[in-house]
Amino acid sequence: MKKIFEIALGIVTSVGGFLEIGSIATAAQAGADFSFQLIWAVLLGGICIIFLVEQAGRFAAVSGRTIPDAIRERFGFNYFSFLYLVLALVSLLVLAAEIGGVCIALELATGIAFPWWAIPVALLIWLVIWKGSFGVIEKGVSMLGLVTLCFVVGAVIIHPPWSQVLKGAVPSFPQHDSAHYWFVAVSILGASISPYLFFFYSSGAIEDEWNEGYIGINRVIATGGMSFGSLISVAVLILAAMIFAPQGVKIEHYSQLPTLLTPVFGYWGFWLLVASVGIACLGAALEITLEIAYLTAQGFGWNWSENQRPLDEARFSTAYTVTIMLGALASLVGIDPLAVTIFAMALTAATLPVSIVPFLFLMNDYSYVRVYRNGWISNAVVIAIIGLAFVLSVVSIPLQIFGGD
Amino acid sequence: MDLVRDCLDKQLDDHNKRRMGRVDGLILEIEEGRQPRVAYVEVGVKTLMNRLSKRLGRASGWLMKRLHVDPDPYRIPWGKVRVGLNKVEAEVEAEKTPALEWELWLRKKVIGRIPGA
Repeated sequence: MKKIFEIALGIVTSVGGFLEIGSIATAAQAGADFSFQLIWAVLLGGICIIFLVEQAGRFAAVSGRTIPDAIRERFGFNYFSFLYLVLALVSLLVLAAEIGGVCIALELATGIAFPWWAIPVALLIWLVIWKGSFGVIEKGVSMLGLVTLCFVVGAVIIHPPWSQVLKGAVPSFPQHDSAHYWFVAVSILGASISPYLFFFYSSGAIEDEWNEGYIGINRVIATGGMSFGSLISVAVLILAAMIFAPQGVKIEHYSQLPTLLTPVFGYWGFWLLVASVGIACLGAALEITLEIAYLTAQGFGWNWSENQRPLDEARFSTAYTVTIMLGALASLVGIDPLAVTIFAMALTAATLPVSIVPFLFLMNDYSYVRVYRNGWISNAVVIAIIGLAFVLSVVSIPLQIFGGD
Repeated sequence: MDLVRDCLDKQLDDHNKRRMGRVDGLILEIEEGRQPRVAYVEVGVKTLMNRLSKRLGRASGWLMKRLHVDPDPYRIPWGKVRVGLNKVEAEVEAEKTPALEWELWLRKKVIGRIPGA
């Protein structure tokens, strides 16, 4: 019974943690511009992240180490410093996008322009991390994230043509705006296969004191949680395809998002969307902030744990405090959060190989994962993801230039 | 023992299992007619920067001097070090070593002054 509860809680947490501003924005953009045609990209991203998250959890449970910890150990400081610079920079951009998402939700709710919310939101994030334990962040905030299930309910109520939805699950070439089509596909994959997700997951497994007994639970949580997360992204895409695409609406600003749910839920649709965006982005912002602090502390061997007093881990506490300050800057100076989000997702895609290639080596290293090394299926999938990541890293920046509009 | 694989870059704990950093460098003593032997493990920013490039090492040393911080890395004699499977343990008390200088400074001057720390 305890295990079933743990699995259910884990899935709920993963669903809450999966959906963030990047998935919402890219799925809405895909639905508005290409109807159901890009569902395959959401599903492909979902499958990739299921495998990566499962492996990250298995690695932490068996080796007792997080991924950054092992990368520093196995690949040395020179490679770690390169990974650290790339990952910290990309994660900071994603954090800026998430803080922007919370600010936009507050702007929609109050009518007060989003830059005014940057400091209060930064303070809220800091306060939750400063005072809260890992459990509060992992379970409490993510549980609230279940409000995003309203997208799934909306997508069913709106009665989409299911045959076309299924057709969209199969990759196809675009009939128009090829560069933009591939740019959106790359952004969706960048939003789904975020290194911060599986790096954070491995730290979470250590915080929750997982051991080999958790391997089965981890598999169910990773598969269930990420599948449900992808399902919500597909629901956002379906709603955008049904509401925005027929009217030829292009997503150019987050203020257009409320119309995604109002045709289905009326007045409450507006508030459901505000709550969904606000809570999903707040949850993601908390996770990314912690992930950057974990990455720093683990890489340099500092004391770290969200379950300790800030006084006992002053460098770790300073790391997340500085991270939040930097992450709030973009919103504070009024940079359009949608532009930050789309750029952050494309950059995530461009830098994927840096974090996934060493991960493949770690998952096959007997000294870390012993008999729980990757089998041929897991290796084949990770190699395919690496191949995909290299393609994304080459095409994402040119596509950002030619297809970003 | 393979020093690079089993010791370099591993988590370094003190005798109370408190994290104090990582094994950032290893110092070997070479004498004529004798086998090289490990003399110290090093913990410090300058050692890390030196591993990236000598120029960065010099620059970090210069910067630390300007900030009135001792740029020399902290050295632990090899005899006080025990290399385990997952980590390296040193027979020292972390808080009494320069390895935690920044941690203690931040604790006293910044984090400790914030309510709820």
